[in-house]
Amino acid sequence: MTLGNLRDLYQQVILERYKKPRNKGKTDPVHRFQRGHNPSCGDTIELTVQLNEARDQIQDVKFEGEGCAIAIASADLMAEALRGKRIDEALEMVQRFQTMMKGEAEFPPELRKLNALGGVAQFPVRIKCANLTWHTLKAALEVTDGVAANGFISNETE
Amino acid sequence: MTLTQEKTIASRVRADFPILHQEINGKPLVYLDNAATSQKPLAVLNALQDYYQQDNANVHRGVHTLSSRATDGYEGARDKVAHFINAASRQEIVYTRNASEAINLVAYAWGNANLHPGDEIILSVMEHHSNLIPWQLLAQRTGAVLKFVELTETEEFNLEQFRGLMSNQTKLVSVVHVSNTLGCINPVREIGAIAHHYGAKILVDACQSVPHMAVDVQALDCDWLVASGHKMCAPTGIGFLYGKLDVLRSMPPFLGGGEMIADVFLDHATYADLPHKFEAGTPAIGEAVALGAAVDYLSALGMDNIHAQEADLTAYLFQQLAKLPEIRIYGPKPTPTGDGRAALAAFTAGSIHPHDLSTILDQAGVAIRAGHHCTQPLHRYLGAQSTARASLYFYNTREEIDVFITALQEAVEFFGGIFG
Repeated sequence: MTLGNLRDLYQQVILERYKKPRNKGKTDPVHRFQRGHNPSCGDTIELTVQLNEARDQIQDVKFEGEGCAIAIASADLMAEALRGKRIDEALEMVQRFQTMMKGEAEFPPELRKLNALGGVAQFPVRIKCANLTWHTLKAALEVTDGVAANGFISNETE
Repeated sequence: MTLTQEKTIASRVRADFPILHQEINGKPLVYLDNAATSQKPLAVLNALQDYYQQDNANVHRGVHTLSSRATDGYEGARDKVAHFINAASRQEIVYTRNASEAINLVAYAWGNANLHPGDEIILSVMEHHSNLIPWQLLAQRTGAVLKFVELTETEEFNLEQFRGLMSNQTKLVSVVHVSNTLGCINPVREIGAIAHHYGAKILVDACQSVPHMAVDVQALDCDWLVASGHKMCAPTGIGFLYGKLDVLRSMPPFLGGGEMIADVFLDHATYADLPHKFEAGTPAIGEAVALGAAVDYLSALGMDNIHAQEADLTAYLFQQLAKLPEIRIYGPKPTPTGDGRAALAAFTAGSIHPHDLSTILDQAGVAIRAGHHCTQPLHRYLGAQSTARASLYFYNTREEIDVFITALQEAVEFFGGIFG
């Protein structure tokens, strides 16, 4: 077995976050809610976002759901990285993450933990797993006002 | 079944499948995703190529030689399929794109004309989405009601509960012959007899049985049976619907267009006789010819021999999987000789997500399926979000099962460290 490749994909931080995610749950209050779904495997992520009073900055992000190591670690690391970010910055991060999945970018030192997911780029069929949470976040943030209580986004169009 | 015989079949057919002789991630390919689609032998690939290189023309239209050859190939394949499942008449075989289209054909043509508000359709919780969604849509169109057979403790079709669901309201029973997830072999002949007792019709989804065992539609006494070519060594894009002649005759057309007509006027038309009434438009001619070649190939091996070979592999697969305590397999256990279930195992491995498992196995050259296998309601019923599935065919070997088991062990160890 090519364990080398697998170590690139399943870096220690990914395995740890899969085993013990730090950002599971629901924010209080919930300013944004979005459900993301990967129809090909059934993986589901439910994101809740708490914003500041001006509604232009993220105070907290939490997730619920079931998924593989890549999907869960991606959600957990994303939630952590988003705290304190303005919405426009968060959307830029979504863009950067998706570019990283093509092997064409990485995050700057202050967000370097997210680079642990860069190895996914070598496993094209798994990019969907890593992207699920970011795709869901984008949909959550693009809701202009209030809580999209029935928000549901499919990852299949990626 | 003896090891000698296994060796005989496997060694005889391996050379027929060029795709199996390649490396994936530096390891010999071990293809264990046969329930999703089978590989194609040279006999089938050559039939497809020969058709396009020598005989290609449209069918049932021209009087020129190529058209005649194309028609002979296309209709000849129908005879082969009819014979393969022991249909009483070649007119009972309707080509479709796949089994899903065949079920949709019945749901529209028969269902729209025969179902009324309050009529009941009985399905089971183990149905593939293709034997579920067409009936959901039909129920929405007609006001019919869907009812579901659940599982026994051994995760098989609950025949007793099924009896309790039947009534004079029941108009249709549609069930899978062999579950693509549980691997159980459903007693469709008995189910059909009960359905008929109540005046209901029975449709059998035979996608996972026709490629693996002898299926006799007259012995099953089913009203319809559907199967997909690509799971039985044929190309994608071709499948078939079997229907009893009088049942098919009573059904109005499904799709309209060329091929399915007798006389056409501007405001009305009369329709072609069976089976062409249900084959609108230019069909998948080359694929049908190749399906005929696949039927020839399987028949030459012998369906009973194929089934026996798979039973031997099933026994071995389950013996080896039993050595891994983390593995939970769904569906009934095989007998010591590997009978009583299909040659597949859908399983979970502790806390390891099937996707992660599949990626690790792929690094070892082993192709398995990870996900819900188009049986989401069944997975919900079983309390599993998704499963991994290894599914075998007659060209697989014990040695390949060994490679799979070793890789599975390594995957469990790789992840075991973090969950230990």
